[in-house]
Amino acid sequence: MTEAILFSLFSLAAIFFAFNVIFRKNAVHCALHLVGVLLSLSGLFVLLNAQFIAAIQILVYAGAIMVLFLFVVMLLNVKGETPLLTPGTAKGFGFLFALLGFVELLWIVLGSGGGEGAGKTAPVLPSQFGSPAEIGKILYSTWLFPFEVTSILLLIAVIGAVVLAKRKFAS
Amino acid sequence: MDLAFLIASAAKVLIVLGFVLLGVPLIVWMERKVIGHMQDRIGPQRVGPFGLLQTIADGIKLFMKEDLIPAGADKVVFIMAPALPVITAFLALSVIPFGDTVTVLGHVVPLQVTDVNIAVLWILGTTSMGVYGIVLGGWASNSKYPLLGGLRSSAQMISYELAQGIALVSVILMTGTLSLASIVKQQEHGWFIVPQFFAFVIYMICGVAETNRAPFDLAEAETELVAGFHTEFSSMKFALYFLAEYANMMVVSGIAISVWFGGWHGPFLPPVVWFLIKLSLFLFFIVWLRATYPRLRYDQLMSFGWKVLLPASLLNLVVTAVVLTLAASR
Repeated sequence: MTEAILFSLFSLAAIFFAFNVIFRKNAVHCALHLVGVLLSLSGLFVLLNAQFIAAIQILVYAGAIMVLFLFVVMLLNVKGETPLLTPGTAKGFGFLFALLGFVELLWIVLGSGGGEGAGKTAPVLPSQFGSPAEIGKILYSTWLFPFEVTSILLLIAVIGAVVLAKRKFAS
Repeated sequence: MDLAFLIASAAKVLIVLGFVLLGVPLIVWMERKVIGHMQDRIGPQRVGPFGLLQTIADGIKLFMKEDLIPAGADKVVFIMAPALPVITAFLALSVIPFGDTVTVLGHVVPLQVTDVNIAVLWILGTTSMGVYGIVLGGWASNSKYPLLGGLRSSAQMISYELAQGIALVSVILMTGTLSLASIVKQQEHGWFIVPQFFAFVIYMICGVAETNRAPFDLAEAETELVAGFHTEFSSMKFALYFLAEYANMMVVSGIAISVWFGGWHGPFLPPVVWFLIKLSLFLFFIVWLRATYPRLRYDQLMSFGWKVLLPASLLNLVVTAVVLTLAASR
């Protein structure tokens, strides 16, 4: 019962904030509502017994990345004059991708993952499910290769950022 | 979830809330007195015995002041911004253990609002959210100096958060748990300050920078930025920023005590008293820093954070990991 109430609270908040991210004209307000979306999502993660991911979500996305977002928006001083939907190809692509995303979600919900018995009985979780220790064990054994690939990808991004920042502009 | 648990939790929340709200005027008084004597003055002494009621009088004055909102300000954000750092400070305080368990009417109650198994991450997360109050306060004022102050502080907090987090990770490598209650329990026979002294130094420097205290108070550098991000704030909005600053001092000290200085452990006296003694010493130390060091220049602050603190904390982390691995393989 409590779980159902909390779930509807967090999911409704997430939807509300998400709509505002799209429809607000002021870029800073959009960024703030995006923070709201991320916080609501981390609430949902806690309900799914994934406290670690919830904390990381707040720490990395809401706490660090969104602050940098705000930083950039404030420095660029984006005015609220940009139209909500740009006409032409951009709009067409937007609808196309939204449709694709919807079809994909429908596929998953109606397919094997959401078929018979889904959501009827809660699966029995291992005792330490979602704890940092368990995530660490799985990450460094079963999923070691994807983890290392991701770290190399991030390293490339860091080096790329340094190279871009250090570039001398011929003026 | 039984009734006793709910009542105990509510009582603990009220105790922590009341402690902070009553403690902050005391800390402000302590700061003014201590800095006064360090600068060869006597500090407040007119209101009440030893000037103890001076901060209360100031608080009442702030309540009575007119609440100004600048004409060009973003009203909603302007009103919301001062509340954010206060909320995040209280959220962070909720996981700091201030005593051992006590037994009330047959129920065992741990003296900590809540013991989450990701406490250290929780604290880092909430303090990183505290930046919003300052950035948004600066932006919503629609004024040059507040904006500059807000941007400075956001850059500063993001930079120093990294080294702070890594300093904490070095200790977590030794404890193997993120729960502050367990970390305190492990320090019964030896505080982590001994093996992790460097991590503590790095953490404390970053902690002072995170709370925007001198010598890292670049966000409100009076000589360059009027009063920085809270220039346009008046009345209780201004007071809330101050409350947040002092509550954050408590958070930083509370974490340092729990992680490096054995939390509530100590001989003879009851645990809660030990925690309060350590807390007072830490708060005094932070005030002492303010009276001792001049403010850093902005480029010094940035290069110190990125070129000294971050590599030092990473080195400490690597050394800790190597030593622990060698010890384990023996």
